[in-house]
Amino acid sequence: MNEIDPSIPLRARAGDEKAFIEIVEFYYPRCLRFARNMLGSEQDAEEAVQDAFTRVYDSFPRFREDARFDPWLFRILANRCRTSMARSRRHRSMIEYGEVAALSAAAAPEEEFGADWAEEVRVVLETLPAEQREAFLLRHVEDLSYEDIAAVTGAGLSALRMRVKRACDTLRARLEKVER
Amino acid sequence: MITEERDELIERAARSLAVLPPANHAVVMGIVQAARAHRRARPSLVTQFTGWMRAPSLSVASATMLAAATLVIGFVSGGSFNGAATAAADRGGVIRGGTTLIPAADAGADSRSVAVPMLLDAPSAKSVAVVGDFNDWDPTATPMQRFGGDGPWTVTMMAKPGRHLYAFMVDGVLTADPRAPKTKDVDYGGEASVLMVTKP
Repeated sequence: MNEIDPSIPLRARAGDEKAFIEIVEFYYPRCLRFARNMLGSEQDAEEAVQDAFTRVYDSFPRFREDARFDPWLFRILANRCRTSMARSRRHRSMIEYGEVAALSAAAAPEEEFGADWAEEVRVVLETLPAEQREAFLLRHVEDLSYEDIAAVTGAGLSALRMRVKRACDTLRARLEKVER
Repeated sequence: MITEERDELIERAARSLAVLPPANHAVVMGIVQAARAHRRARPSLVTQFTGWMRAPSLSVASATMLAAATLVIGFVSGGSFNGAATAAADRGGVIRGGTTLIPAADAGADSRSVAVPMLLDAPSAKSVAVVGDFNDWDPTATPMQRFGGDGPWTVTMMAKPGRHLYAFMVDGVLTADPRAPKTKDVDYGGEASVLMVTKP
């Protein structure tokens, strides 16, 4: 996993503004990727990432010197995504078709995988319960260890392994149909 | 024991989701500037108020003072109470879970926010925090402090007017407020409490 130099978050915590810019530059693509995959909406994802970095900036005094930055950042981001999902649910019950197309166009995974297949992955991902989607993305896309995912989500290791397994089972069952 | 399963199909699915969006320096600088602006606009009164409540030298007797203060605060709010749980200072000193609302007197850009004292009676707990959509369900964001050896757990937090979902994190376990209306947290399957914050 690609982690930032541990001295940079400590410099940011001490008030070094350049260090905070380095953090945002380093993590912005990964954070936006996670939020997009989690929320399925470009606009909601951008807002969640913005809010997460604002909270990081405000919360640096609570960042422990001996803690790793990645799980700390992703816990804040995952919590922002959770809040965003709750807010979005009040306004709409399902993702808008146009947003799926916009996401695919922005990330262009279909160049490698085929548009139908890449979109099917997203559609199946959307149907997963949020806790399974979150665990799957953190494990298999963001490449976090189960210990780190436990720090991000607050869930136990066994529960997390079960969430990832169920997500994989669902994805596999649906994608095998597409392959045929 | 659940074994890790990452076959070719899952591998391909993960890779299709792992495409990184491009870094955009203008967006990055916008995020940094927004974070700075947000810090400058943060309310100051609440920090002072919660700092007072968290003072480690407060004794059990101070809980009574807190309860009395909470009643006064509730009066100032002009009836802006959560429908379920209100301060219980008038119940013979027995304070259980609950909230009252006060206007944020000096809330800067967040002037719509309201200070909400939270109370929970959990005598055997080692640590308690409030989590909810107002703090992104972050168990480290709003820790509660206890008055004396067996007093109530308390904290004051900011929340914008509207309907909020929340719960207490009691020794790491998500626990609904025993005195507030409950609802299902549909995203994560647990039970959450409902907090209605009205405009001051």
